[in-house]
Amino acid sequence: MSPERNSETKLSHTAAMILQALDAGFVYGFSIMEMTGLPSGTVYPAMRRLERDELIRSQWERQSIADAEQRPPRKYYKLTAAGRSTLESSRKRYPLLERLIPSGEARSL
Amino acid sequence: MKPSLSLPDRAVDLALRGANLGLLRGAWILVPGKQRGEWWREWHAELWQVRQECGCGRGFSWREERGIAGFCLGAFKDALCLRRMERRARRPLALSFGSAWWCLLLLAALLGLSYGLGRWLPGVRAERSLSQCMVRRGLVLIEYADYEDSAPTISSGQYRAWKDRKQEFFDGFAFYRVTRERVNREAEQAGSDGGAGWGVARASSNFFALMGLPVRFGETGANVDADLPGVILSESLWKREFGADPHVAGSVVRVGLRRATIAGVAPEGPWDLPGKVDAWLLEPDSQMTQGGAGYVVAHLSASGESRMSAAIIPIKSFSEHRTPDDLLGVSIGNGMPGPWDLFLFASLLAILALPAVSPVSFGEESVSLQAISWQRKVWRWGFLGAKIALLLPIAFWASLDLAYGFMGFNSNEAVILQLAATFSICLFGMRWILSDQRQRCPVCLRRVAHPARVGQFSRTFLAWSGTELMCMGGHTLLHVPSLPTSWFSTQRWMLLDPSWKFLFAGRYESEGGCSGYGVNS
Repeated sequence: MSPERNSETKLSHTAAMILQALDAGFVYGFSIMEMTGLPSGTVYPAMRRLERDELIRSQWERQSIADAEQRPPRKYYKLTAAGRSTLESSRKRYPLLERLIPSGEARSL
Repeated sequence: MKPSLSLPDRAVDLALRGANLGLLRGAWILVPGKQRGEWWREWHAELWQVRQECGCGRGFSWREERGIAGFCLGAFKDALCLRRMERRARRPLALSFGSAWWCLLLLAALLGLSYGLGRWLPGVRAERSLSQCMVRRGLVLIEYADYEDSAPTISSGQYRAWKDRKQEFFDGFAFYRVTRERVNREAEQAGSDGGAGWGVARASSNFFALMGLPVRFGETGANVDADLPGVILSESLWKREFGADPHVAGSVVRVGLRRATIAGVAPEGPWDLPGKVDAWLLEPDSQMTQGGAGYVVAHLSASGESRMSAAIIPIKSFSEHRTPDDLLGVSIGNGMPGPWDLFLFASLLAILALPAVSPVSFGEESVSLQAISWQRKVWRWGFLGAKIALLLPIAFWASLDLAYGFMGFNSNEAVILQLAATFSICLFGMRWILSDQRQRCPVCLRRVAHPARVGQFSRTFLAWSGTELMCMGGHTLLHVPSLPTSWFSTQRWMLLDPSWKFLFAGRYESEGGCSGYGVNS
């Protein structure tokens, strides 16, 4: 899917919230659930579809980092260029999105 | 440092962890095979995170555990979502809605439905069994010309005289006389109060052989007691009085004062014979001397059939005293055509009428279609043939369902309804088949879609004006003129070269994509 086409894509509010949360630095499933208040049965399927449409991509954490923190490795998600472009157009559609989840909030925590 | 749990709390904690993992495993089964490993790793890691955040291991709280269970239940939605996505991605173009296989499947389902209804509706079943048990050709019922219809007029003496005399126009005679008789099953006779009253036809023993009617269970009942006359039950009586017992043949019944053996069951259906008969008591001619008048059925010889130009023929017979009798021979079993004859007639009419309601060309005269391989062309014609082959039995069964399922069998209304239904289904079905064929891509046989108006109708004679449709597999474009002109009279196909392919790639993978984001629990 090309970026030009993605920017025209109209996301639902839920999908836009997930993209906004990712952009804000909440990069794995449970952190997105916590930030958005959405249940797991909504967040994970939505992320599957976003990944299928190449708006986000996933990457496994290195085992050494997880071992150092004594936990299983996480699967991290990241916005693609197409996803960023779609998020920009979604912000215009949903003006309160940035107020709900301010960009860089995760980094400031 | 974690606070240590008491032993019961630790046991509960372990049990709940096990339950959570059990829920995840349950959802894991739903995940497509290739993705299970990664899916399990992710959810396992997330569950660990959830349990950490909820403070499990530091103490037991139902509220927290309920939240964790809710999280685990969400895994089922995720698993189902992955499953749907996998299925959609795997779905080949050829099996999606609008494809040739889909169309054939739909027609096959319609055929199955109409056939199933036909097997289930009693009226249709009766009509079919009747049509399968047609009487022999060349049978006539002989009666006196001066008498009312359906009154018995021929004496047994006269029947025997005709039978004994050498005949030119007939090669067989049978006689029957209908009486009302009390009938008892012998096993019940001791406690019986007189038995049921049946319409019994005392018939000559060759009656069924002459009529050409098959007798069910005849083999079973034939050799039970050769000294007793046989009784053939009508199908309705067999069902009503004997509960459709297949072992009824061989039982002994008492008909009036005579004992008789049940020798079989006659097929259901009116055979155009007068008299309401529940059972036929087959007797040798020597025992048919007593009683009143009856009916005589005769079979025409070859020379007799050549003389039988109408359904009723006059017959002149001479009695022993050489006095002439004026008789009539009424044809039996040729009153109404069977459902198969009606179907053939109506479907032939529909095919003849087809050009009046639909053009019969497929609009494939386009030059560019020459490039299509012969296999594709064979498949296209085969598809057309398959549709027609499915439509015809649908028309047959659906018309039977409509006519005999609700109108009752062997009525004039049912015959007319069957004719009308067969004609309509064949005519409009064939029209649909041709129109459907014209709108299917010659390469993949998928219906073209997304019609787009091109040009202006008012400028038809200056520039092309019509509708453009596109094959969703990216093979062809179809141009249909809005007004046929001398230079563009019929629809034309245009084959798309491979450079168009990228426009259609992955369409099915992304189908329904963004509309699915708004999932709310």
